[in-house]
Amino acid sequence: MKETALLFAIHRLSTDDGPGLRNTFFLKGCALRCTWCHNPESISPQPEIWWTERKCIGARDCIAACPEEALTLTAQGLSIDRERCTGCGKCVDPCPSKAIELIGRPWTVEQLLREALAERLFFKNSGGGVTLSGGEPCLQPGFVSAFFRACQAEGIHTALDTCGFPPWKNFEQVLPHTDLVLYDIKEMNSERHQRFTGVPNEPILENLLRIRDFRTPLGRYPALWIRTPLIPGYTATAGNVTSIGRFLAENLGDRLERWELCAFNNLCGAKYAKLGSKWPLENQPLLDPDLGASLLEQARQALGRPEAVQITGLV
Amino acid sequence: MSHHASTRPPMSPRIQTINRRRVALNIAHKRDLYCDNAEFLVYHWSGKSEAFAPATGEQASSSRINIGDHNCRVDTGMPYPFVDEMPSRQKGLANTAENWAQDYRFFITHSPAVIDPCERIVGDFHWQLDEARTFRYPQEVHDLGYAARQLGAGGISFTHTCPDLSIGLKLGWGGLLSKVRANRRKFEEFGNEESASYLRAAEDIALGIMQYIRSYAEKAAQLEKAEEDAQTRGIYAEVAAVCSNIAEKAPQTLHEAIQWIQFFQIAERMHGHGNGYGRLDQLLQPFYDADIAAGRITRDEARDLVGELFLRYGNYFSLGGRNRELCDATCETSWVCLEAFDMVGGYNHLGVMWHADIDPKFWNYACDVVGRHGAGCPTLLNYELFRASELRSGYPESDAWNVSYSGCQWYCSPGNEYSDHDVNCLVLVQPMQRAIDAAIEQNAPDFEAFWKIYENEVDCTANALRDFKNATYLWQPKVWPEMVTSFCAHGPMDKGRDITDSRSVNNAFTSVNVLAVPNVSDSLYAIEQLVFAQKKYTLAQVRDAVASDWEGKESMRQEFLNTPKFGNDHEGADAMAIRVSEQVREVLESKRNIKGFCFRPSLFQFMGHTYAGPMLGATPDGRKRREPVAHGMNPMHGRNHEGMTATMRSFCKLDFSKYQGGSLQVELQPTFFPKEGRRGDLVEPFATSFFQMGGVQINLNVLSMAKLHAAMEQPDLPEHQEIVVKVTGYSAHFVVMDRKFQEEFVERVNYKTL
Repeated sequence: MKETALLFAIHRLSTDDGPGLRNTFFLKGCALRCTWCHNPESISPQPEIWWTERKCIGARDCIAACPEEALTLTAQGLSIDRERCTGCGKCVDPCPSKAIELIGRPWTVEQLLREALAERLFFKNSGGGVTLSGGEPCLQPGFVSAFFRACQAEGIHTALDTCGFPPWKNFEQVLPHTDLVLYDIKEMNSERHQRFTGVPNEPILENLLRIRDFRTPLGRYPALWIRTPLIPGYTATAGNVTSIGRFLAENLGDRLERWELCAFNNLCGAKYAKLGSKWPLENQPLLDPDLGASLLEQARQALGRPEAVQITGLV
Repeated sequence: MSHHASTRPPMSPRIQTINRRRVALNIAHKRDLYCDNAEFLVYHWSGKSEAFAPATGEQASSSRINIGDHNCRVDTGMPYPFVDEMPSRQKGLANTAENWAQDYRFFITHSPAVIDPCERIVGDFHWQLDEARTFRYPQEVHDLGYAARQLGAGGISFTHTCPDLSIGLKLGWGGLLSKVRANRRKFEEFGNEESASYLRAAEDIALGIMQYIRSYAEKAAQLEKAEEDAQTRGIYAEVAAVCSNIAEKAPQTLHEAIQWIQFFQIAERMHGHGNGYGRLDQLLQPFYDADIAAGRITRDEARDLVGELFLRYGNYFSLGGRNRELCDATCETSWVCLEAFDMVGGYNHLGVMWHADIDPKFWNYACDVVGRHGAGCPTLLNYELFRASELRSGYPESDAWNVSYSGCQWYCSPGNEYSDHDVNCLVLVQPMQRAIDAAIEQNAPDFEAFWKIYENEVDCTANALRDFKNATYLWQPKVWPEMVTSFCAHGPMDKGRDITDSRSVNNAFTSVNVLAVPNVSDSLYAIEQLVFAQKKYTLAQVRDAVASDWEGKESMRQEFLNTPKFGNDHEGADAMAIRVSEQVREVLESKRNIKGFCFRPSLFQFMGHTYAGPMLGATPDGRKRREPVAHGMNPMHGRNHEGMTATMRSFCKLDFSKYQGGSLQVELQPTFFPKEGRRGDLVEPFATSFFQMGGVQINLNVLSMAKLHAAMEQPDLPEHQEIVVKVTGYSAHFVVMDRKFQEEFVERVNYKTL
């Protein structure tokens, strides 16, 4: 149990990532570069720091503590030279107002299991469990596999939230201990997929078909939910939703338990600011509820199993 | 078994009419409750008045604060018209039950019968007795009150218990009167003049109430004669018959039972602020079952009648819990009552008492109702802990099984106790401040030496409170006996001793709300860490920084603020919270009142946290002077960074059977709930888990921040006027709340996710 992973966030009693009330643990590092990414702090596999303007009282203790001389206080606030910053985190503790935070701390399987066990009553009473998300958890398959195995030994339901892009051998390591796969299909047209996310979608679709056929040594199939982010101006088109629906109907059949359409939300602009960058979708309006409703209808028609399709996050 | 609701039952046009009238009264500020001033909210005593909230008359405060539409009576804006004719003003005021009862009888028989069209359950009142009769303790009591106030404690002794209405439902007013007369003759025969005198007073009370109920029968009959619409005439005739039947006789039908309860509540609330009224499903079950068996009523009619009771005023009632054999007490009437609330919604204080064997469908429905209505109703409660806490305190099994949620955060064995709940307070900040000064003077070498000084100061404050309360108790049954309540209690009418008196009911503890436990424990933990362990600051520097409200000491304040805090499942911070809570509990439990019972702490205080900030000054937990203090045992606003479950785990490190309540306040955004699916399916596992962990009470609000902000800007929009929130242990329409309460409310952590 010496495996560690870099974790950057924990959502407790989440209702968004699988059935029941769940703890979602977010692992750092991702192979995709989605234009709309809601977790920009998840992309780099290294620890980083970020700075919250509202909390800063200008005490300058961080500047003195930085061994790389990466920090300067300017009229616009703290400037972080990201070329120099190694993510060592030595500036974090000296800050009296906790304006600097370290994103990404190493957790052992044992530590994370203890965190999960503390909430097992909620899981048991709600039919929930744990979800590993990211970033892309399958970039750290050894950890995921060991953690899920430990959870299952305690009777805790395990869910993997994945973009589907990691090599198949990583999935082979993880799937035997996975009760549910939350699998992202974002865009059916591979050229557009490449443009939006930086990678083509063929490897993702191939992995999906392998997951469909995967059985654990005990002969059990992990449950399978597909998730599609509906990003206005990108993926939220009738054509895309219809093609995904047809693909799922043709290829997954009854192996598909649920298909979730996740409406775009704009709650992550502040994260980009704290990382010193700007979110390309900052001014993007939310998904129009009427468009959302019509996409849901088209998805239901294309899949042919209306009860299996849901939309979340509409306001 | 009949069909149980899973969605909101619709209101009939008649119920809609009554509901519109209810909302209109609240919005027009006809139900507002006032207290003297901010000092009263913090210490529960300001020295100005012994009464809770006289709106008119000589004891009404000029500098009053509106604490929300939490008042049973309907305000006319006018003083009581017959003040000068009150017997005590005509013939002289005396501190005796007989003198009090003469006033009460005059008062209630000179209160108008109020009947509105369409109502099948009637009864409203406009004035409380403390607006017409002087309510004042002798100077010696006041002197002790000021002494306690100086040391950080205070309180009034007034109502806030729970009668056992089954006594009255069984006997009726005629039966209660016969019992009183028989006992009066007994005491006269054996020469106990004190008890005989009390029971003569009780006769006056019963005769007054009976006359008051008859006045409703007469009024309804008059209205019937004048009414042209046949349907409305039929309702008046029915009301006249019901009131006439129960003026003397015991109620025979569900309709009569509910009307009897409504009149009891009015008669009782006329003499004071009011009580909880017990386990509604258990009280009504025999009447409901008999009516159904005889074909006198349909299930929907029964639901509408209970709904009307809720629309008159949403008092503290409870459902669920266990029965005498400790099996699940949930019955068909529980469903009817909860569906009645689900139907009428809005302002209400109903609670549902969970236990390990509760009917899972009913529990899920209760969780769904609070999730959908979002206004803290029903309050979710842990019956197992209620009962455990009563047994631990020494209640006999025969009293403890029947425990009922009775008010903000407290619970009673109906009719078996007068434990002075909810309006005594110990403000823990003051002993801490004195301890800091003393430790500087004595040059305390380490934290344990400092702690000893702190313990001593808490003891000092508790002694002052004990002396004040004991002086009050000596006078209370003479100055302001609670005689209507005493009719539905086990003991008073047999012994001729008021429920507020010693040797009257089985249990008479003194309950004390402890204010600012999280602030004090966070302060002490920061002092332990930064002053004594790390030696970064001296205690004198802490005292000076706090005295100057951290002026020019922002870096230091941030260090104190960012030392781990209670509510984040942090071992050290939580251990200090337990140490602080346990210490004040042990101190209070070591004090005795003159009734022979100990003081009991409640880790809750209903509203003082909002106003206490400037009165108490800044605190070493990094809190600035203008900030509120923590609400009950809930972590300070914005200090629980680790999510709701971490807060719940911190909470449940305390053994709540040792305390008299400590509610968890949860404010959720509506977006927490997926659009599809029952809200109960998420609230239920959340609440069940909390109770299995040892939590005692959840006040759950589901509300949109944006909507609350909009309501503060535009309070006149109809959709804003209907917003009800569970403020602390009680509910209020948001738009009628004092601005400061509104601001504090929207500042609370609002969870998009848990």
